Amino acid sequence: MAALVTPLTISVARVWEGATCSLDWAAMNPSAGISRNANDGLGALSGVRVLDCSDARAIYGAKLLADLGADVVRPEPPEGDPLRARGPFIGDEPGPERSLWYAYYASSRRFLTLDRDSPEGRDRLRRLALAADIVIDNGWLPASGIEPEALLAERPSLVVVNSTSFGPDGPWRDYLAPDLVASALGGICATTGDARTPPLKIHGDLVFVTSGTYIAIGALAALRHMRESGEGQIVDAAVHEALPTALEHVLLYAWYSDLVDWAETPVLPRQGSMHFTTVYEVLQAQGGGIMVTPTPDPEAQLAWLVEEGVHEDLLDEKWQDPDLRMEYAQRMMDVMRSWVPTKEVGALFEEAQARHAPYGRVLPPELLVENPQLEARDWWQQYQIDGTQTRGPGPPYRFARTPWRVAPPERGDDNEAPAPVNSVLNAIGWTE
Amino acid sequence: MTRPLDGIRIADFTHVLAGPFGTRILGELGADVVKVSTTERAIGIAADGLDPYYIQWNRGKRSILLNMATKEGRKIGRALCARADVVIDNFSPGVLDRWGMDNEFLHYANPKLILVSMSGMGVGGPWSGYVTFAPTIHALSGLTSLTGVPGRDDLGIGFSYNDHAAGMHAAVAVLAALEARRRDGAGQRIEVAQFETGVNFLGPSLLDLLVNGRAARASGNRLPYDLAAPHNCYPCRPFAAAVPGEEDRWVAIAVMTDAQWHALRSLMGDPAWAHDSAYETAAGRVAAIDAIDRQMAAWTQTQDAEAVMERCQAAGVPAGVVQTGVDLTRRDPQLQATSFFTVAEGDHPSIGTQHIDRVPLRFSATPVENYARTRMPGEDTEAVLGEWLGMTAAEIRRGEESGALT
Repeated sequence: MAALVTPLTISVARVWEGATCSLDWAAMNPSAGISRNANDGLGALSGVRVLDCSDARAIYGAKLLADLGADVVRPEPPEGDPLRARGPFIGDEPGPERSLWYAYYASSRRFLTLDRDSPEGRDRLRRLALAADIVIDNGWLPASGIEPEALLAERPSLVVVNSTSFGPDGPWRDYLAPDLVASALGGICATTGDARTPPLKIHGDLVFVTSGTYIAIGALAALRHMRESGEGQIVDAAVHEALPTALEHVLLYAWYSDLVDWAETPVLPRQGSMHFTTVYEVLQAQGGGIMVTPTPDPEAQLAWLVEEGVHEDLLDEKWQDPDLRMEYAQRMMDVMRSWVPTKEVGALFEEAQARHAPYGRVLPPELLVENPQLEARDWWQQYQIDGTQTRGPGPPYRFARTPWRVAPPERGDDNEAPAPVNSVLNAIGWTE
Repeated sequence: MTRPLDGIRIADFTHVLAGPFGTRILGELGADVVKVSTTERAIGIAADGLDPYYIQWNRGKRSILLNMATKEGRKIGRALCARADVVIDNFSPGVLDRWGMDNEFLHYANPKLILVSMSGMGVGGPWSGYVTFAPTIHALSGLTSLTGVPGRDDLGIGFSYNDHAAGMHAAVAVLAALEARRRDGAGQRIEVAQFETGVNFLGPSLLDLLVNGRAARASGNRLPYDLAAPHNCYPCRPFAAAVPGEEDRWVAIAVMTDAQWHALRSLMGDPAWAHDSAYETAAGRVAAIDAIDRQMAAWTQTQDAEAVMERCQAAGVPAGVVQTGVDLTRRDPQLQATSFFTVAEGDHPSIGTQHIDRVPLRFSATPVENYARTRMPGEDTEAVLGEWLGMTAAEIRRGEESGALT
């Protein structure tokens, strides 16, 4: 059956001559630029082969590996990867090459058509897995009748990362958990929003960014062990276990509220932007919101309020009592709640940072794309998506010698009727 | 029992959450993470013991006290960095250099070193000197404006998401750099500018703005770019076993297909409102989303959240109780079945029983099984200086006397 996916035209200008930052970041980093060698300029994971059978739950993990230079091959069914239907689209017109969601999450891949409902397709999948260093899977393998243990028996050095919503066993094993449900069960929604809103999900797919990042950690840790010992393995990663590890105060309240004075109850109800410490909060200034805090130097904050003549009772002697430390911080926040609305947001932010106060202006996306810091750091990358040239997101980290880059995606097959497996492996270069 | 990162030495100069969370993961996967602290700058270290916040993020590491304000302390610090595979810090740029860990030192003393600097804004640019904590980064990176409900930009994420995420990205970067070093023998400098890490998370929305000119806004629990309805958290009957802080009880329901809509409609008892022909398509349901949300809430308010979840999931409809920390740690049957929670071996001097959430990665050949309690500051100074540097007891005593080891 001829593949229905049209040849991909997502491509990105290669930006990997040296560092991705044209600002001479290496020179500005006094301790940068250690040894130089012939491999400088290649991605850190150059030469590592990854078979990417992920869905939304692990795709960000495969992206991390791909953007760091691994050779990540992503099979998709003849009718195309369902994730190509995720919006937003170029011009709001859906199309397999037009998903901006996919352009971000499926960056730097090589794609090939694979019909896992056919014996040839399943054999192809098995042979691809055996030719890889790492397999990331959200269920393609078992759906194709391939057991990871069988792969390892044939190739003991293989690393298979098995991503599930809840783990391979247990009462919720078969529960369906798209982002909102995973967030609710994983403890996130209970933290976000306030008394006037329902519990809320985080923007976008940040929950699956968390689970995906653990996928990359598990894959690379297992790869390291394999390099040391020759021994591969299976790494099981459940979204439902990933989320509770990264909830800052939530588990601490449940475990230790009896022991600490900063947790009055085992559960902290949703309280909007106010951090659990109560000393960070978003307030409305003139022209927009701003996160304010009297920390880490409350004396400096007090001095500023005094300069402005808005300090109210904060200079009273009673606040010298060390037992009233928390009440004092909360009183100062009260004073700031009256003061901030009288100030223009941009000027307030600049003055705060000039005074080394860690205020943060609430920036919407339209101010980010003109942000002087990102501009100066040359953070934006060039993307070409279905013939459309655009700026797009840059790196989450910078490597001085083996740079991150978003590479043009490629097809690993010629999009025709399924080819013999060996020619596919030859075509993608995964033969010994 | 072998762990995947056995033998890797990490000198950890990070503090608070972002860096320590990343190094905790690496330490629990087997790396020898040496946390360098000083009582001169006691973060999380109080006279009456450690705060659970410190204890939670600093498991899986050994702890030394080192006063880099002293000449002897700096000498020891440089020696540790010369023996390390990885050095990670979140100081202002230039601090390590002032301590003698500059370009020359790295090139000659330890060219295999992987040096990770975590900062708020990164080196260079007009904001480079800005002071940032996680809530600052959330606000500046767009995360605060995009999480919430329409018309309000003052909500944001209810915990320091970006600190966890940045720490995890630092861990990925370390592991990737180790692979590169294996291939070509050389270390390198890595920078994690947490502002940039955070902005990166807006990926598709940034592309939407740049390509389509559409600026994203907070959209509650609705999906801004895909058609799905009902898709929200709905209030349920009060929970009988609720503890203080659990005054409300909610269930999330996410209908992603028309088939799921039919199944939900059926298990709600086929109410007339749900048979509106306009609701046959996702587009039709999204167009009527306010009305649908009101009807859904009217139904869920008569139900227990757990029962809604179980009946929905049995019918193939994605649904989940909005779980609190008490749900997760005491009631969640899935986390109990997988033994996700455990306790550390041995009591902790500050808090007694130390509760553990396991590394959410289960390795078939190199499992992480046992969890030691968090070390007290300086508890491992002698052992580390002996093992990494070959310092004798007498030399360590001299270091203590000079004030270098406080």
